[in-house]
Amino acid sequence: MDFTFTEEQELAAQALRGLLDDHCSGADLRRAAEARGAGAFAAARALRRERLKELGLAGVLVPTSAGGLGLAPIDLARLAEEAGRAALPEPLIDVEGIALPMLAQLAAAAPGAHDALAAALAQQATVLAVTPGSGPVAAAVDADYLLVGRSPDELALHRRDALRLTSVESVDPLRRLATVELTDAAPLAVLQGSVARQAWDAAASRSAALIAAQQLGLGARMIAIAVAYALDRKQFGKAIGANQAVKHALADAQMRVEFARPVVYAACAALDASAPPDASASLRVSHAFVAAADAADRAARAAIQVHGAMGYSWEVDLQFYAKRAWTSAALAGGRSAHFARLHRALLDGSAATGPDHLFDAGAARA
Amino acid sequence: MAIDLRYTDAHRALRAEARAWLEANVPREPLPSFDTAEGFEAHRRWEAQLHSGRWSMVTWPQEFGGRGLDLIEWLIFEEEYYRVDAPFRVNQNGVFLFGPTLMEYGTPEQKARFLPRLAAGEDMWAQVWSEPQAGSDLAALRTTAVRDGDHYVINGHKIWSTRAVHADWGFGLFRTDPASERHRGLSYIVFPLRTPGVRIRGIPQLDGKAGFAEIFFEDARVPVADLIGGEGQGWSIAMATAGFERGLMLRSPARFQRTAQRLVELYRRETAAQGAAPIDPGLGAAVTQCWMDAEAYALATYMTASRLIAGGSIGAEASLNKVFWSELDVAMHRAAIALLGARAELRAQGSEAAAAADEACRWMDGFLFSLAGPIYAGANEIQRNIIAERVLGLPKG
Ligand SMILES: Cc1cc2nc3c(=O)[nH]c(=O)nc-3n(C[C@H](O)[C@H](O)[C@H](O)COP(=O)(O)OP(=O)(O)OC[C@H]3O[C@@H](n4cnc5c(N)ncnc54)[C@H](O)[C@@H]3O)c2cc1C
Repeated sequence: MDFTFTEEQELAAQALRGLLDDHCSGADLRRAAEARGAGAFAAARALRRERLKELGLAGVLVPTSAGGLGLAPIDLARLAEEAGRAALPEPLIDVEGIALPMLAQLAAAAPGAHDALAAALAQQATVLAVTPGSGPVAAAVDADYLLVGRSPDELALHRRDALRLTSVESVDPLRRLATVELTDAAPLAVLQGSVARQAWDAAASRSAALIAAQQLGLGARMIAIAVAYALDRKQFGKAIGANQAVKHALADAQMRVEFARPVVYAACAALDASAPPDASASLRVSHAFVAAADAADRAARAAIQVHGAMGYSWEVDLQFYAKRAWTSAALAGGRSAHFARLHRALLDGSAATGPDHLFDAGAARA
Repeated sequence: MAIDLRYTDAHRALRAEARAWLEANVPREPLPSFDTAEGFEAHRRWEAQLHSGRWSMVTWPQEFGGRGLDLIEWLIFEEEYYRVDAPFRVNQNGVFLFGPTLMEYGTPEQKARFLPRLAAGEDMWAQVWSEPQAGSDLAALRTTAVRDGDHYVINGHKIWSTRAVHADWGFGLFRTDPASERHRGLSYIVFPLRTPGVRIRGIPQLDGKAGFAEIFFEDARVPVADLIGGEGQGWSIAMATAGFERGLMLRSPARFQRTAQRLVELYRRETAAQGAAPIDPGLGAAVTQCWMDAEAYALATYMTASRLIAGGSIGAEASLNKVFWSELDVAMHRAAIALLGARAELRAQGSEAAAAADEACRWMDGFLFSLAGPIYAGANEIQRNIIAERVLGLPKG
């Protein structure tokens, strides 16, 4: 029983934070949002991508036998948090946490996926997963390969240019959404049936848990931005942050973030790199998703209020983190579905309750 | 080391041992309220029984009657304790506040004198800090303890002292330097509550029982040997106690997980039984949120315990815990009262024991008590100030 991160995990997170402080500041996000994909943005993005490659994260969840690092979702938890903290526009976590382990599963069964996997592990190609039936996908326009399915019983690999992508605007200008439609093109590789379904199920849980981790970072960042503003801005001859109404709103946001944190970490720790979670792990993921989405939302609203009219203006970078928090709450099934699932499990008795079940069998993996 | 949320074999063995002992020893019927003379004595006997199984102070060193368990092991014991609805700890303030303080600041003689008796349930302790004019602003306290030879002579007025009506000893905070102000010149002194010159008057709480008391001191003489730490060090020692209080041990997560479990069961029963009067869908959401928060509090406590075992410390973030559990407790009881509807107000007929055993009474008594949570151990407004100032770095008001 140990609920602390390793030094390596902490160091990796620090390295990512340092990199993102340098290459993904609020000002960088603003330039990206205002350039809307134009040249300056593309150059900054290319530079950031090069720096991210140096972190050596490629294939972090891919088994060593397939050329990856063979680590577990918990090894990505602190990194996802940092990606959230910076509202990183690039789909680092979606690629490494969701798509690459799926691609490795596909490649293990279908040789047609070997080249894509090799290119992805060599950081020469990006691959994203498009959950069957999901809405528009962020950053799909930049991917080289896409994993898709006509139903959850199919897992197919395509080159991006073999599919029909249509850009869609989001309220979050950094998400770069596109709808993805299948064409008549034959997939490079395909899996059918229960193996495919399990791969999608497992991916959905990883996605929810890692989005929750990003929400922790978003929440903490918004509180930090609000604290800095509350120290700086003076009214009635003193810093607005000296007023209890301001203090208590931020203290409450901090409390929600700090009590979502252990749930998110426990959820990530309960997940495997590729196998679907058992029932209790899956409920913990839902709990993590709801708690983290609510915490980030609380932080967003408190931070906007603390900024006064400034908080309602385009001029404040806070908006990038707030919009990411709100749009993220609707991903991976959405906050509402996760909450409903917990409610149902309590009502039908399938959720464990009581003091002695917290880490029951299977709920926690090393 | 890495995050690994599995119990070891030793943990499982400890759990099994605690479970077996508790199942064999926990009173079959709930004890009457410890805010009655009868209930207090019944709870005192339970403390002694816990001690006979060496379960009264599991984290204390063996020499003082404990088992020397670490915080994770303590959590496991607490889970088993609440799983069987074992009686609330009547000596709570001695066990979790005074004991740890004495272990840190007491002389060897003081430890030998007080700790084994405390562990054995022979002495029940009351916290004697608040005064009518010194609540949140504790440093405004005015009760004096003036040195006279090898005694202190105490004069003044304390209030809200939990269970002081029936307890044996008090750990108090007094002004030993009458010329001093605020947090300077205070000392931490213990005294028998039956000392001549000490008058105790019970104050009925919301449930009508005298669960706390005011204490009048009129030239009460206390030996200097019962000063804990140095004269004038009272404030920093008291703040260490308050850290224990808000920190991990005052309210173990198991207590709230058990309440959440009972709430979920109540919700399921009421949903299954709903006839003409459907259940407010908002209550389903409230119950779900309560369960989530009870789980989150438990996970947070495991995380903090792990961090402390690994050499970390807990500071102002203890205030986050205090706000979180106290508001969770209110939310759980509010949901239960709403589910019970008109049954919630009914009192069980007959004895105190009947009331303790009655489902609706338990919820109502728990609801009333939950309302004190955001007030005692430092009101939540003060905790939020601490979070804002010392965790987030906002300026003092
Ligand atoms: C059930 C119970 C058991 C207790 N047991 C003990 C005990 O065993 N021993 C003991 O010594 N004491 C005990 N107390 C007393 C407790 O410590 C005090 O009630 C508490 O410190 C608050 O003080 P007060 O009641 O005087 O309220 P006040 O300090 O008068 O506060 C009243 C209200 O004003 C708010 N307030 C005060 N100052 C500020 C501020 N600066 N900013 C914002 N809001 C503010 C408070 O938050 C509160 O809501 C107990 C209290 C209760 C309810």
